[in-house]
Amino acid sequence: MLEVKKVNLAYGQMQVLKEVSLQVREREIVSLIGANSAGKSSMLNAISGLVPISGGEILFEGKRIDSLPSHEIIENGIIQVPEGRRIFPFMTVKENLEMGSYNRRAREKSRESLQRVYELFPHLAERKDQLGESMSGGEQQMLAVGRGLMAGPKILMLDEPSLGLAPIVVEMIFHVLQEVNRREVTILLVEQNVKESLDISSRGYVLENGRVVLEGAGKDLLGNSYLKKAYLGL
Amino acid sequence: MRFLKGSYFLGFLILLALLVALVQNAFVLHLLIMVFTSAALGLAWNIIGGYGGQLSLGHAAFYGIGAYTSTLLFLHLGVTPWLGMIAGGLLAVIASLVLGIPCFRLRGTYFTLATIAFAEVLRILVVYFKEFTGGSIGIVLKFNAGFLNLMFKNREPFAYVALGFMALTYYLSVWIENSRLGYYLTALKENEDGARALGINTYRCKLIALMISAFLTALIGSFFAQYLTFIEPESEFSLGLSIALTLSVMIGGIGTALGPIIGAFIITPLQELLRVYISGEYQGLQNIIYGIVLVVVVICIPQGVYKWVTETIFRKRTA
Amino acid sequence: MLIIIGQSLISGILMGGIYALVSIGLTLIFGVMNVVNFAHGEFLMIAMYLTFWVFHYLQIDPYVSLLIVAPALFLIGVVTQRYLIQHLIQAEHYTQIFATVGLSTIMANAALFFWKADYRMVKTPYMSSTLTFSDLVVSYPRLISFLVAIGITVLLFLFLKHTYLGRAIRATAQDNTGAKLMGVNINRVYIFTFGLGSACVGVAGALLMPIYYAFPTVGLHFVLTAFVVVVLGGMGNITGALFGGLVIGVVEAFSGFFISPELKEAVYFVIFVLVLLVKPSGLFGLTKG
Repeated sequence: MLEVKKVNLAYGQMQVLKEVSLQVREREIVSLIGANSAGKSSMLNAISGLVPISGGEILFEGKRIDSLPSHEIIENGIIQVPEGRRIFPFMTVKENLEMGSYNRRAREKSRESLQRVYELFPHLAERKDQLGESMSGGEQQMLAVGRGLMAGPKILMLDEPSLGLAPIVVEMIFHVLQEVNRREVTILLVEQNVKESLDISSRGYVLENGRVVLEGAGKDLLGNSYLKKAYLGL
Repeated sequence: MRFLKGSYFLGFLILLALLVALVQNAFVLHLLIMVFTSAALGLAWNIIGGYGGQLSLGHAAFYGIGAYTSTLLFLHLGVTPWLGMIAGGLLAVIASLVLGIPCFRLRGTYFTLATIAFAEVLRILVVYFKEFTGGSIGIVLKFNAGFLNLMFKNREPFAYVALGFMALTYYLSVWIENSRLGYYLTALKENEDGARALGINTYRCKLIALMISAFLTALIGSFFAQYLTFIEPESEFSLGLSIALTLSVMIGGIGTALGPIIGAFIITPLQELLRVYISGEYQGLQNIIYGIVLVVVVICIPQGVYKWVTETIFRKRTA
Repeated sequence: MLIIIGQSLISGILMGGIYALVSIGLTLIFGVMNVVNFAHGEFLMIAMYLTFWVFHYLQIDPYVSLLIVAPALFLIGVVTQRYLIQHLIQAEHYTQIFATVGLSTIMANAALFFWKADYRMVKTPYMSSTLTFSDLVVSYPRLISFLVAIGITVLLFLFLKHTYLGRAIRATAQDNTGAKLMGVNINRVYIFTFGLGSACVGVAGALLMPIYYAFPTVGLHFVLTAFVVVVLGGMGNITGALFGGLVIGVVEAFSGFFISPELKEAVYFVIFVLVLLVKPSGLFGLTKG
């Protein structure tokens, strides 16, 4: 479904991604693991069209998307739940969610999507008239994920959803992700939280200094000795 | 490199002085006076606007204070403008503190807006206290030639004084550039919080820069009042003047000592020529032209002509 | 005495409605694009002249011609944004300030050049009509202008709250990147917002003609007032601009009467600086209500 072929990305003189290749097939959950400045967010931003790439190709369902403007990429169903959530602080929960279905594809199904998101996150339903900025980190993350779902994604990309959240909340969100995946949404998960993400993933890639250094099935990676030493401290 | 510039510049000044001595044409002398004054004003503004990065669009306030103080002292108490301008300068320094102490807490555009409000309030007050200041009608000075009166029959002496101001502001700028104040200003311009974190008292630096800038601007305001022998609130305190003061800097190169001078040499002759050949019917046309010049320069060559040229030459050398 | 206070209050509120409308355009643009448009007053000036010419040549009443003037200003705004402002969004502060100052100079002087410095007035039949409520006299055109201004503001609120485009505008103001990720075409939003802000000013210009007069530098007074209102209400805060406008209108009226007509501007500038110092985020706080 999503194919990244030998992508290079540079910010000025700094090479952030070096010949990165990865694939996400339909219905999969794929994890992209790495330390802080490994280039994971940059990868997602490149796919979403927020930053231009300097080499390589990005294909979605066979078509090249790497030179498209961000709003067109979103119309294709490639939705990102960004790092730090980026919810709209002065809009209510309901307004934030409705904003999620801004793109034309998702607009007609907005009401249904809203119902479904309320089902998945009853917590949000209770707070639908609350302003975004007054919510806790966990609630904001739920809102961000819910908003991403409102966009009718074919593939949902999440950038470090577990960052700064309590383990219970993380578990809950990952549970929702699995549920959503069961309902046909492909997921690309970027995380520093190696164990939780690989647990739910069919496959994973490890990114280090802008390069893919490991790839494989989720379980295999968890058993990999290098991974265990470098990322799990074992 | 700096010393080289120093002696080249001195040579340049001597050349200009010779030019003044040799030129007989009153209009050309007037042009030179305008260029020197424009350069000096730009350099004065540049101290706070360029080096300090605090964009003031209210400098007309200091200019006007200088003009009105020396004129009123001259008119009512017979004080020679040479001293009057110092008084004006000191008053401008006080005014700069009134502006700076509260308003340097503000950053960026907010500060600029405050300076505009400041100059406007002053303008309104000057118009209001008309018995004292002559109100909107302004004040006309009776011509009475004499060195002490800072009034001369020919334009030459005016030109020398103007050249003197340009030299003064230039050397002061260079001195500041190389002083500790200059380094602190560069640091706070780049990143004020960062500079603070390094222990620099950014607040004080900005105040000092503003005081110097205000003082110099007022001096020139006084001088020019004597040259024109006419002052009025609309000309001395207006937003238009505040903008005009910065024109030479924006065109020539903000944040450099040579920039305002180059800018003045480029834009002022254009201004004066336009004023002479296009007037009356075509009122407003010259301002349209500088408006266009300003917009084009600020968007296409935001670093100013001076840096643009030196950068291009530098690039060609390394290419 | 009470009557005088009441009269000043009414006069201030009515004028304040128009200040509010002018400022709303400015704050909308700032909130979404983070650009301070010093030429905003000149857009008002153009709207006023346009209203004047439409009245002069087509005998169309200003309150009707605003249906022409507003779209015209919208278009002018769109063009200005596309060819000038767009380049300023990422630029340094001084570039923004000086570029829009330059634009303002060009526009004001173009007006001076083409239309001369004469004051232009629109003489409508109801110009001097008044309504009387007990002892208070209200100028009829001022009342109409006020009501229309409030009406337009309400429409704007509804638009921003309930339409997809309106929400896209608010989203862009609150989080640019977040909005992009929702599929919002940011460039289009910028263009539309600038056009919308200009249209607001266009309406304000049409509303001003029956009660004021047009001349090339009329923009200066109003833009400075608009900046005061915008800072008072909070940059980017539309509700704030509405209330700020009314407050400034009243302050102006009261200072005009109780202190001196010549000093009324000085009073609100002083208030302006005080607000900047005490609460720079405005009396009504942060973004986008």
